[in-house]
Amino acid sequence: MSSFTKSAQQWATFARSWYLIDARMQPPGKIATMCAIRLQGKHKPIYHALSDVGDHVVVMNSRHIAFSGNKWEQKMYSSHTQVHSSSIFLFFLQIVKLAVYGMLPRNLSRRTMMQRLHLFPEDDLPEDILLNLTEELPQPREIPRRLNEYSQEEREAFPTLWTP
Amino acid sequence: MVFLTLSCWIRNRGPDRYWKVQEVLSNARHFRGRKNRCYSLAVRAVRRAFVYATKARKIKRRNMRTLWISRIAAASREHGMKYPALMHNLVKSSVEVNRRVLSDLAITEPKSFLSLAKLARAGQQEGFGAALGDGKEPPGVFSRIVTLQ
Repeated sequence: MSSFTKSAQQWATFARSWYLIDARMQPPGKIATMCAIRLQGKHKPIYHALSDVGDHVVVMNSRHIAFSGNKWEQKMYSSHTQVHSSSIFLFFLQIVKLAVYGMLPRNLSRRTMMQRLHLFPEDDLPEDILLNLTEELPQPREIPRRLNEYSQEEREAFPTLWTP
Repeated sequence: MVFLTLSCWIRNRGPDRYWKVQEVLSNARHFRGRKNRCYSLAVRAVRRAFVYATKARKIKRRNMRTLWISRIAAASREHGMKYPALMHNLVKSSVEVNRRVLSDLAITEPKSFLSLAKLARAGQQEGFGAALGDGKEPPGVFSRIVTLQ
């Protein structure tokens, strides 16, 4: 690193990266915290609120987010009227978007940071975004497997308390 | 008949009003609206500005410290540690580096910061071992008991 010119080093330090997050079977709140940290630039040691060091974040499969508990039935989003979270199909994008919007600092750069957040309902990302991506972030939640996804040997090897 | 009281009615105002007004307006030139031109409005705005500046001298130190802390937290998360764990283990290892220097190291000397993070990580593992283990000292260590004077 020390053999680079100063201008090249500065360019590399302040460059804006593009992060990819797969939101399949993930809680939207945890996805939103990861997004918010990177949109503000708080993951960088050069962070300053006025310096505009935030990165781009692309969230794919946001149609397949998974709330924990009974939140699909109980959580209410309001916008002049109450909207049930399980009713409208196109609402899925709004869940993650509202979550990230609420986690960003309430100042004028919030709108710019939201413009750097890109949400997609499924896997298919446009060409130009695919070319820009630099890093994929690990998923916050380990996806549990269904019973029929376990093989017969694993099911027999699982310890039992009593035989019926 | 001569008017003798005419001279008593002449008021000699101070000769330097212009410069007294300029003294205040020069501090208000970068303000928005009529406060940067009109003396009565400018006087109030300049007084508020000076009060804020006086109070801000203490707040600046607070803001700088929170900035250092968030930078150190970001750098330590890059190396897999969290900020509280890092600071506690550095204190336990009697590394008395303050937050200002730590944040500067994190920006300009990444390898030094990595070594400090590794030191803190070793102290953390040692603490876990002492808490969860069987009370014996790890092999090859003279004495883990370090007292800070």
